[in-house]
This record gives sequence, C-alpha cells and structure tokens, in this order.
Amino acid sequence: MLNRADRPKALYSCGDRPSLDNKTGDWRQITPTEAGRPSPCRQACLLDGEIPAWLEAVKGERWEEAWRIMRRSNPFPAITGRVCFHPCTMECNRRLMDQAIDIPAMERAIGMWRLERYRPPAAPRVLRGRVAVIGSGPAGLSCAYYLNEAGYRVTIFEKAPVAGGMLALGIPSYRLPRELLAEELKVLTADGVQFRLDSALGRDFNLEQLYGEFDQLFLATGAWRSRALNIPGADRPGTWSALDYLTRIHLGETVPLAEPVVVIGGGNAAVDAARTALRENGMRRVSILYRRSRAEMPADPAEVEAAAAEGVELIFNVIPREIKGGEPLLKVLLDRTVSGDGGVKILPDDPVSMAAGSLIYALGQEPDLSFLDRLSQPRFFYAGGDLITGPATVPEAIKAGRIAAQAIAGRLAGRPETAAPPAQGAPVTFDQLNLWAVTAPQPVERQADPAEEAGRCLGCGTCNSCGICYLFCPDVAVQREQGRYSINLDYCKGCGICARECPARVLTLEGGAGYAS
Amino acid sequence: MIGENKGQVTEMLYPGHFACPGCGAALTVRYLTRALGEDLVVVITASCWSIIAGVPPLTALKCPILHCPFPSAGAVGGGVRRGLDVKGAHGTTVVVLAGDGGTFDIGLQALSGAAQRNENFIFVCYDNEAYMNTGMQTSSATPYGARTNTAPYPLFKEGRKKDIIQIMSAHGIPYAATATVAFPDDLEQKFRKAKEIEGFRFIHVLSPCPPGWGVESAETIQISRLAVETCFFPLYEIIDGGSMQLTYRPPVQKKLEQYLSAQRRYSGLHEQQLEKLQQDVDRHWEKLLRLSGRS
Amino acid sequence: MPVEMITGNQAAALAAQRAGVDLVAAYPITPQTAIVEYLAEFWARGELGGEFVSVESEYAALACSSGAAALGARTFSATSSHGLAYMHEMLHWCAGARYPMVLVNVNRALGAPWCLEPDQGDSLSQRDTGWLQLYCANAQEIFDTILQAFALAETIMIPCMVVFDGFYLSHTYEAVEVPDQETVRRFLQPPSFDPPLVPGRHANLHALTTGEVQTGLIRERHRVMQGAAAVLAEIDTRFQAVFQRGYGALAAEIPAGAKTVVLAAGSCAETVRWHLPHLAGTGLINLRMFRPFPGDILCRMLEEKAVERVVVVDRNCSPGVGGILAQELKAALYRMAQPPVVHDLLLAGGIDFTPRMLTEALAEKRASARSAEIWGVELS
Repeated sequence: MLNRADRPKALYSCGDRPSLDNKTGDWRQITPTEAGRPSPCRQACLLDGEIPAWLEAVKGERWEEAWRIMRRSNPFPAITGRVCFHPCTMECNRRLMDQAIDIPAMERAIGMWRLERYRPPAAPRVLRGRVAVIGSGPAGLSCAYYLNEAGYRVTIFEKAPVAGGMLALGIPSYRLPRELLAEELKVLTADGVQFRLDSALGRDFNLEQLYGEFDQLFLATGAWRSRALNIPGADRPGTWSALDYLTRIHLGETVPLAEPVVVIGGGNAAVDAARTALRENGMRRVSILYRRSRAEMPADPAEVEAAAAEGVELIFNVIPREIKGGEPLLKVLLDRTVSGDGGVKILPDDPVSMAAGSLIYALGQEPDLSFLDRLSQPRFFYAGGDLITGPATVPEAIKAGRIAAQAIAGRLAGRPETAAPPAQGAPVTFDQLNLWAVTAPQPVERQADPAEEAGRCLGCGTCNSCGICYLFCPDVAVQREQGRYSINLDYCKGCGICARECPARVLTLEGGAGYAS
Repeated sequence: MIGENKGQVTEMLYPGHFACPGCGAALTVRYLTRALGEDLVVVITASCWSIIAGVPPLTALKCPILHCPFPSAGAVGGGVRRGLDVKGAHGTTVVVLAGDGGTFDIGLQALSGAAQRNENFIFVCYDNEAYMNTGMQTSSATPYGARTNTAPYPLFKEGRKKDIIQIMSAHGIPYAATATVAFPDDLEQKFRKAKEIEGFRFIHVLSPCPPGWGVESAETIQISRLAVETCFFPLYEIIDGGSMQLTYRPPVQKKLEQYLSAQRRYSGLHEQQLEKLQQDVDRHWEKLLRLSGRS
Repeated sequence: MPVEMITGNQAAALAAQRAGVDLVAAYPITPQTAIVEYLAEFWARGELGGEFVSVESEYAALACSSGAAALGARTFSATSSHGLAYMHEMLHWCAGARYPMVLVNVNRALGAPWCLEPDQGDSLSQRDTGWLQLYCANAQEIFDTILQAFALAETIMIPCMVVFDGFYLSHTYEAVEVPDQETVRRFLQPPSFDPPLVPGRHANLHALTTGEVQTGLIRERHRVMQGAAAVLAEIDTRFQAVFQRGYGALAAEIPAGAKTVVLAAGSCAETVRWHLPHLAGTGLINLRMFRPFPGDILCRMLEEKAVERVVVVDRNCSPGVGGILAQELKAALYRMAQPPVVHDLLLAGGIDFTPRMLTEALAEKRASARSAEIWGVELS
C-alpha cells in the first residue's frame, strides 16, 4: 500500500475493478429458497418416484444421473415403464395444456439405458450380513436389489422353476416381454444375488431351517390363492381360474381352450386372461362378464380399451348363477344386476343363458398364510408385497421391497440410498405455474426423442433447470454451473423476481438478510 | 421457452452493481450488453445508470463506460463513434444509455441532432416514466394519470406521454424499435439486429421501476409483461422511418385496468380517466395494426 | 515563410487545419461563423482530415468533441458569446474529465439586448470552469496561439480556450505568416496523450464519486494550472526555435523610467502598443494568459520596474464589482508590499477603444486615488 503522498496523481475519475467487491447480498430482506413443493406426478406415483428430477436429467441427457435418481425409488424402470398403470401421467399438469408427458416412455428409456450399459461390479462387495428373501416377485426382487446394493448377501427362494413371480407367471408377455425380465434377473445375479428356484416354502423347506443360515428373512410370497367361483357347476371341466390359466401358459404348458371363451371378473387378471386367450390360444370369440358397469371396472381403463379394440366382447351388469352342460359347450346362467355406490343388486328377472367353450374366472386372489401354522415358536421376520396387501400393483410391491430393505438394513447397519418421500403440502397445480415463459409460442406435441420429451416437463415444484431465474435476475446473482442453477447470496438483493417468475413454482421467499460468506 | 440461447452469451454486467432490487433498468442493460457483445463502449448520461454503474474504483460493466452530462448523450455518442473511427476502431459498437428524462426532455435536442445526422451508434432510452433517480418527478414520458412527487395527490400527470418512437422514426432513421424486460428474447433480437445496421438506431425499452411505480420488486417482469399484453406498450420496430412491424401480438388484449390497478402510482383514477386511457391505448393499438398491415 | 492577407477567423481556421485536428464540431454564431465556414471548405476540399460535424448547438459541439477527445482525438471548435454561455456545463465537464481540447471564443456581448460588439464578458465569465484562457492581440497571434494551445493542453491535460475580439480581429484582414503543415509538424506532432477511453479496457469514466476524491482531483488540477505559465514558457521556447517569434504568458513593453503601465488583453493591447510611441513614461502589459492568472510574473515585473500606476483596459464589467481584469489584478497585487494604484478603464458593451480615450484615461484627475473607475463612454 502506497502512502498518500506517493500515490500517483489520478488525472480523472475512473473505476476499473469489477463491482464484485460490492457484496450486495447484505441489502437483502427476503431470500429466495427452494420450497420443494410436490409435483402432482410425484404425489401420484406409487413408488414415490422423483419424476421431475429424473426427467430433468433426461432432458439434459445426463443418463447416469437419471438412473441414479431413478434407482433411489425404482430399480426396475424398464419393467415398471411397461407394467405400471402410471397414475403420474394421469395427474400430469401438462395434460391441461396439450398432452401429458410420456413418463412411461422416459422410464423405459432410463431402464434400457441402464440394462445396455450394465457392467458387473469389478470387486466383490463388502458383506454385512445374510438375508433370505422368500418369493422372487417384484417385492422380493426389489428388496434383494436394495440389500445387495447396501452390501448384504441375498438369497432368493422361489417355488416356481422360473424367477419373477407375477412378473414371470401372471403378467402377459405382451405387456412384459420375458427377455426383459431375464435381463433384469441376469443383472441381479451378476450383482451377486443368489436364486434358489424350485424351492417352495412348506414344500421344500420351512422357515425354521432358514433362521440358522440367515440373519434376516423377508417374506414376499404374494397372493396366489384364487378366490373360488362358488356357484353350482363351477367344478365342471373347462373351467379355469385366471391365475392358473396364465401361470400354465407362462410356464409353457398347453391349456386346451374352446370357443366361445367366457371370462368372469372386472380386474386386470380378467383382462389379461381374455387378451392372452386371443394371443396364446388363437381364440377369436372371447367375452368378459362383469357384475358392475364399465365405469366401475377396477382394471386399467387403457387395458380394457385395448381388449375391446382386439375384439373382446364386454358384457356388464351380469353375474353367473350356475354352470350347466358341458356336452360339448357349457351353459352359463346369468342374472342381470344393477350397480352403483359400491353395491350390486341382482334383478329378479329370469336368468339369461350363455354358451361357453371355456370359462375363466378372475374373482381376486388371497395370500397363503398356512406357513404361519407350521412355526414351532414365535419368530421375527419381515414381509411385504401382495402377501401383506393382497393383490396390488407391481410398483406397490417394489416400494414394499424397498421399505423392507431399508428396515432390514437399518437393523443390520448400512442403509441403501432410497428416495425420500415427497414433500408435504398440496402439489403444485396447473394454475399456479407460470406458463407464459415456458409455453411460448405454441403447445408442443409429444416428442420421440427422450431428451426433447423430457424437456416438455414443466417441473411443477421441482427445479428442471429451465433457467428463468437466471434469465430474469437483475443482479446476475443466479449462477449457472454445468446446466444447473443456484443463487449466489453474496449478491442476491432479494428482489424476489426469481420466485415470482419460476415457471415450476420451486422458489419461495423467506425472511432473512445477510450475504453468504 | 424463452431465453433459449442463454448458453452462448457473455454476461457483461457484473454482480454487485448499485441498482435497487428488482430494477428494470439493470435488466435492460444486462440484456442489451449481452446482445451487443464485448467490443462495446457504453455512454451513460445522467440517469439511474449514473449510479448503477458503480462508484470508482468499481465498475459494473465488462467494457468501457463514459459518463456524460444530462443533455449531451446524443452528441457525446456521435463524438465517441467518430473518435473510434479516427482511431481505426470501426468494429467497436457504441451504445448510449439515457433515461426517459435524458431522451424525452433534456436530451431531446441532442438526440434529434444525432438522429438527423444519422450518427452511427445505438441510442437506448430505458424508460421508467419519470425522474426516478431524483425520486419520481414528472417527465414528459410520464403517462397521463400517473402520480409523481411533482404531481402529488390530488393532482396527476395531465399531459399525454410523448410518442417518442414516432418522433424518432420521423427522422427517417434506419432502425427504431420498442422492447421491454419481460420479453428478453425480443429485446436481444432487436439489439442484435440493430448492431448489424449502420447509422442511427433508437431502441425504446420500457424498464419498470418498482419503488416509483408502486409495485413489489418481484413484480418487475409481471408488470412489464402486462404493459405489453394490455397493448399499453406494444412491441414493434420501424425500418427506415417507414415499414413498421409488430414483433409480438398478444393473443388476447387484456384490459388496461389490469395493468393500472397493479401500480400504486395510478391509484384513485376516476372512471372517466380510466376510459380516456383505455381509449388512447386502443386508438394507438389500432393505428399500429393499421400501419403494420395487420388490422 | 508565406505571408497571407487574412482575417482573424481565417487565421483561426487555418491554425486548426495546420494542427491536423481529428474532429471539428461547431455551430455558427456571429462573429465566429466564418471559422466554421472556412473549416467546412477545407473539409470539402479534403484538406481537413478526420471528422467535420455540423452539430445542432454549441452545447453539442463541445459534447461531441468531448466524446472524441475521450478516445485521444485532437478536437477543435469555435464559438462566441451566447454559444459559449450555452456550453457552460460542458466546459466544466471537459475540464474535470481532463480532455485536452482547444476552443476558440470570439468575444461578443451577451444579451439582453442583442448586441454584437466585442465585450469580453463571455469568456471572462467562464474563468472558473477550469479552462486555460489565452487572449490574442492580432491575427498572427491567433494563428500562433492556437498551435501553442494544442501543445499546452495536451501537455498538462487541461482544455484551452483561445480568445480574440469580434470584428476587430475576427473580420479584419492582416498580414499573417502561415507556415505549411510540415513546418507546423516540427512544432506540433500528432496527439500522443493517453486516452482515458480504450476499447476493451475496463473503465468507469467520470462516474459518481465521493467529495474526498473530487477534492483530490480539483486540487491536482489547481496544482497543474498553477504551473501552466511555466509550461507555456517552455512551449514558447520550442515555438521560437521553429518560427523565430514568441509570446509567453504576457508581453511587456515598459520603457525605462515609465511609472504608468497600461494592462490590456486582446486587440485593446494592440491598440495601446501602436500608440505607445506617443505616450511618454507609459508602458504596456499585454495579458495573453488570463487563466491561470499570471499574478507572480506580473507582480515581479511591476516591482522590478517600480510601476506606480496601472491602467487596466477592461472591455467588460461584472456589474456591482467592475472590470474583471482589474479585479484579478488587484487580487494578485495583494502579495506586494507597495502595490501600484489601479485605475480601470471600462469599455463594457464592447465599445470602440480609441487612442484618444487612452490619452484621456491616462490624464485622469484622480491619478493618485488607489482605485478608480473610468467609463469609456464618458470620455470624448
């Protein structure tokens, strides 16, 4: 530092140092803060999937990151992208503007990216403990995945000769190609998960035996017991439960069906059976009979739509009273019903008769809990999936497996990284979004390119790096690094424009002054 | 999506500048300097930017800034341009920043002179519709009906706002345009276009002043957007003082009241005043539609 | 060296042209107009390099020049009277910004009422703007002083005003030695001062600052101005080497034993000089430099010559105080133990200064009064 006298005399006044020295952050009265309000898609997601976050990564073609976010809630996106009914898409705010984001397609894209790039781990994992998973359905596989990730030695017991549970034996292959399931199983195996196929609880082993060999047990044996058709003549030949029919088909057995095929039931299993009959048995006359109306059908409407389009006849408000005949055709006597408000009332009219070559009933399934009776003493184990909830969806089973894995890992120390549940509070609604900045100039149709399609995501409460905060900051206090944005509190004067203009309503303003450093 | 090309530009405005929170004038200059590039000289006449640019030893822009007295902007701009030409720096762009006072009022003579001589630089009026640097006094850019500290309650600004673009394009200048901060793409596009044109270019940028207008600092963009959507401040350009085209046409013309009622400076306007303002806006908008061949 | 019969205005225009100015921005006003026209003619003939701008006002003339000067261009303009008054704000600004520009002012009375006579009040009333002011007594001085003004301004980075009387000098033909550009080059090279504005360089020029910084800058300008007469003397030496004539801050002709000295600036000094042979015991001080006021040099000279009375010719008046040159002189004399008496001949309004007027003023009855005002109009 020169003393006063030695300083060169300035001719004129001139500033040459960037104003960065002026930390305007201390002018701030309010501070823009990430509020983390949930998006409707995330709130609807059965897996708590961080949908806007991984869509944002896809938008930036940061696939590794997309997979890292995805696997926190869902390790099998290639599967769920095909079999989940995607309530996320139904709630997507963008549907009110042009078309919902094609979330399943994005999910599949991440899943396929992952499968294509999978390499087995170079070094064996640190082993923390041994866990037995009984049942290789989505709940079991998910639990095994997370535990294996967290460093546990996992052995899966499966009663069938193939792994996958419902994924292998229940869901039709046109919805889930079996090669894909095989890929996922291959990855799990390569990752170190062990499978013991043809090992049925109660048939090939009992629980007591496992307590010696394993530290923890997870039971996910599903709900495989079909509810019976309790009407006279239900035991006549040519009558099948949907699950029995589908399982046999998926095990490669031949099931002799005859036209016309009558399917009784309104759930997904009924629709699966009907559409499988068209495909696997070459049937052309297939009907679904349901005791309520179409609107009350629990099956995925898209599936019902697809079945109808394929020629499946849908008959509503009828209920079977008796099955007669069988020489050669069965005669199904049907009562008419009225339904609504949850109730079904049988009309007193005379029954209608309907001919059936084969009859498939899908009246729901129940778990088989008989193994409990065979325990010699009270035992501690974890259980999840359909075994606990009764028949539910693949994503719900995956979530159950994830939660179980977290609990088990917590007990054994060393938790896998899993998604946090969505933030509390009402999801961001369509009206709250600042669409003017995003939509201009025109609504956009769905795009084939995943990055472009993900780019249509409005973010709804989640930062999707649209950059509006950066663009509109008068103080150049929003920083951009590798496509991501953050607020530099050294300079943010707290004007609040970023929060006001954020299209996704990510930012809120909170009291509090002062700069960061 | 607006701001799509934001990845390729260099920010010329440094954080730490001296503008109030939510300043429209700061945004205006941030955008226009991004569009004009680094080989730039900025001339600033007495206005809010005399403060925003920083107190030495600091400077808020990544290029030379030359401050000049209030009425002199147009003449100094021409002098700088010619000085650059004398020194062989023909590629350097000169942009003059003036507020509405330095453009509509005290600077109009020099502005007109420079325009008439077709001086080769870009004159920017960042219009916050009053003398804001001195604390909100009436200028001839203050719209009818607005209150200022020299037209306090129960008074209001009586005269109409000058139609500065008409005045300027009547000089036959090669390029005249309006822009505002809620439409940065439009703004930057106009500056990029202006940069490629030789001669006098005039760009009138509506730059909201939150404390002066009586809006929250967070509402700068919103109010700027409303000004366009109500057709109070249409976005257009005029080439060679003749051919006029709208660069943005609101899908629906919103009621002017929406724009006015959002600002405290218009509080207490009577029904008739409101009507007069709406009529003025409608008439002006119809005229623009006619001129642009869109009516 | 070629001698031409030209007017003072022509001499001024030729000097600017020979100085190789980069930019001329000007606006016409009587009696300066011809300077602008001559320069326009040079420009039209391709004899004036750089830029010629017909601006819309005197204010713009200086504003436009300032923009170019910021980039290191050599600028020139000329004005008069109301034009100079209209430049007032820019005069302050350019001085504060240290733009070494040269501006000619042709003296003319300020209204109201309209009056075209060569009252000096226009330039003298700009004395506190921070500009150097050099006054010329004849057309040759106009030409030479403009060249020296560029050298002086660019050396100390202070703008310089070159002043001469309207009509008496602006419109009167005199024989003037007008050297060619090459000869002028030997004295005055193209501008080489460091410009404040350089494309690509961070600079927030003349931005808002504190009182303390402003103090420092003003004090520095004050210091530099105080040394300006010495710098002008050096420049004059270089000038003499090329042109074999010179001037300095003031030109004195005081015969031995003269007790009275007439102090005048501009054409009045020339009138006195031609009349000196008829005035026994009287000398002349031609005050060429008014800003800064060369008080030290003056006092030393008056002391050395033991002058008892100074008659100041003031073709101006600051109402309520009197002639401005007399005021400045009196303030300077404060440092003398035995200052001479000062009598002020007031020619405000730019009235004609005749030898007879001078004779009568010298014969003023109140010769012993320490101070007296003599209004020219009251003399025959």
